[in-house]
Amino acid sequence: MADMGMGLGATDTCHNGAAAPQHGTPRILLIIPCFNEEASIGGLLNEIAATGRGYHTLVVDDGSSDATSAIASRRSPVARLAQNLGIGGAVQTGIKYAARRNFDFCIQIDGDGQHDPRAIETLLNAYRKDPTNITIGSRFIDHAGFCSTRMRRAGIRLIVLALNSLFSGGGRITDPTSGMRLMDRSAIAFFAKAYPTDFPEPISLAWAMRAGLTVSEVPVEMRARETGVSSIDGLKSASYMVRVLGYILLARLVRSR
Amino acid sequence: MTNALPSPETVVVISAFALIYMLVLLKKTLQGRFDLYDFLMLSMVAIIPAGFTLFPTIGYLVTHLTGVVFPFVVMFGALFLVVFAFMHNMTARLHRLERQNCTLIQEQSLLALELKAKENGQPNG
Repeated sequence: MADMGMGLGATDTCHNGAAAPQHGTPRILLIIPCFNEEASIGGLLNEIAATGRGYHTLVVDDGSSDATSAIASRRSPVARLAQNLGIGGAVQTGIKYAARRNFDFCIQIDGDGQHDPRAIETLLNAYRKDPTNITIGSRFIDHAGFCSTRMRRAGIRLIVLALNSLFSGGGRITDPTSGMRLMDRSAIAFFAKAYPTDFPEPISLAWAMRAGLTVSEVPVEMRARETGVSSIDGLKSASYMVRVLGYILLARLVRSR
Repeated sequence: MTNALPSPETVVVISAFALIYMLVLLKKTLQGRFDLYDFLMLSMVAIIPAGFTLFPTIGYLVTHLTGVVFPFVVMFGALFLVVFAFMHNMTARLHRLERQNCTLIQEQSLLALELKAKENGQPNG
């Protein structure tokens, strides 16, 4: 495993003139899936650049109809999907990019501004202390910041119960629907081949644990969405939970590959 | 159970429908719009009723074997089986196409990115 040296350097996240990584410095890609996030993507990329950590970024524009690509392309490479594939398809595009470009780690961050880029360092520090294939930034360890609506939290508890009781390979998971997660080379290689299109966050964990990958969590603080509306709300939440539980059960019944 | 034979009018209508339908289906298959599996499954809607109509004794034998009183019940049962088998296959094909479509869209976007990077003279990653 690549040495987690402190020297990440002070390279820009701008896609022009990214400096060659220092020897021994892990190459880290931030995958930012977006769908109509023109109002928040510019600010997010500025925040990432302001960390001064030299992260490579890839914005995956999931068929946006607004100016997401145009705004993002000023600060980052943009993979523009011709059709909307959903969060699963968009994230897997980024993971494939990470696999082909030989990145050591990729970190998924939502493009809606919910994830504070300063929490990236928290994930990396957690990996350095206790390396696991997937490290999740959990809202529900410290319960700080925005922790979603009550109905969704109830549904998440059900999913947590299902995952923790049916699968081993991680510590106790508290936030399976978190979109902020770090993946190492093993996880990158695994998900580059197959990544769930439906309900990707919890199902990807089920697939990963079934395949023997390890999962851990670290507390992070998330913000309420800056812009836009969640696609999972109201009655859809209940339907979402039932279907996710079904998929988790199905994942348990399938033999490991 | 009665062993009533189909009337001549029934035989004519069913046979005519089966013949015309099979010819249309064959034409579309030869044009490449259906493959052999589609041709076989879609032709069952003509073949099964025609078989029961033109060979009623076989139809009655099947109903006797299955314990069903009326031959048309067996006929519709057979047609349902064909429909479900076809749907099963179509669903699998649809999912495979979905996955392929998703992969194509992803690959297209990554290739476009790579091309843009090369045009700008940037190093990969």
